[in-house]
Amino acid sequence: MDKLKPEVFRYKITNIDALPTLPRTLKHLLKLLEKPNVSLTEIGEFVSNDPVIAAKVLKMVNSAIYGFSGRISSVKQAVILLGMNVVKGMLLGISIFELMQETMVGLWEHSIGCSVAARIIAQKRGFKETEEISVSALLHDIGKVVLILQYPDRYEYAMKKTQDRGVVIGMAEEEVFPANHAEAGSWITEKWRFPKVLTETIRYHHKPHLSKTFLYEASIVSLADVLVRARGFGFAGDMLVPSVKSDVWERLEMTEADLRDIFREMEYSMADADMLAFE
Amino acid sequence: MPKIPVDKLEPNMKLSKPVMNKDGIVLLGEDTELTEAVIEKLKMLNVLSVDVEGALKPDIPIENALLELDKRFEKVEHEPYMDIIKSALKAHIKGLYG
Repeated sequence: MDKLKPEVFRYKITNIDALPTLPRTLKHLLKLLEKPNVSLTEIGEFVSNDPVIAAKVLKMVNSAIYGFSGRISSVKQAVILLGMNVVKGMLLGISIFELMQETMVGLWEHSIGCSVAARIIAQKRGFKETEEISVSALLHDIGKVVLILQYPDRYEYAMKKTQDRGVVIGMAEEEVFPANHAEAGSWITEKWRFPKVLTETIRYHHKPHLSKTFLYEASIVSLADVLVRARGFGFAGDMLVPSVKSDVWERLEMTEADLRDIFREMEYSMADADMLAFE
Repeated sequence: MPKIPVDKLEPNMKLSKPVMNKDGIVLLGEDTELTEAVIEKLKMLNVLSVDVEGALKPDIPIENALLELDKRFEKVEHEPYMDIIKSALKAHIKGLYG
């Protein structure tokens, strides 16, 4: 397979919104996300034009995933309680993962599982506000979606490599693309003006030790990813459980009892995830 | 916490947590076995969902679940700390089957 020019690759990834096959609502959302200081009114308008998305956001914030069971009744209220960045992240997750249901079945479940695991680990580590970590985990693999949308054939080739050679998907990606999904994901979330905690956590979720400012956040998402795969929830491109990085493990100091708590809550939330599934 | 919606409840199911009203008063204690009448009552009281024992029991037999777990860990079992994760998972999966 011929090599892609890094600058062309980056251009195509960061201009994914120009892809003609994207649904109109998603394009509309991406345009909104690009605006500096998008207002609550604009988000509200977008959501009210699309009742299916609105219903999904409300289901999500009220599910066990975020832990506000049944208390949030409007998107506006969600923005006030969770913050604009979190709601933006959920809208993006819901709109973009829907496109994936054929190419990578199970990536949505994987992402939800990580979101829950990350929240609990963060709580156990004493984080007061866990919503941004949770949404970083929800979006950590968004680079995979963008790679697949822009380069479906190459991605399929990468997935075949993981099967034939038993390497994890991230490594297979690096053989066919100039950068892997973590980097691609950070480029586009930067373009869509997500805060640094999200973009950096996404960039370093496989190499948390490289993150200077968000070492703990990136470590949490990294461990969440291992735990969700270990439990066998969803599908993230290969059937392998990556081993936990020693520095991540030592930084987060989870005991076996902590892990069992995490698995228990994950299990409950996955039962809830069914209702968030795409038809 | 997640639960079974009241309209999916069946007689003989057992509560794994007490049911409380919004003032925190216990309506039904832990371990209560549900009957038709109790389920009707819950509906009348507008309770939406309750915790039931074994509600998370997976569809596959436990032997298969544990075999799949072994398979997933095949390559990383001896890496640092993975034994702790695996052991927690094993206990977790066994717990799901009650």
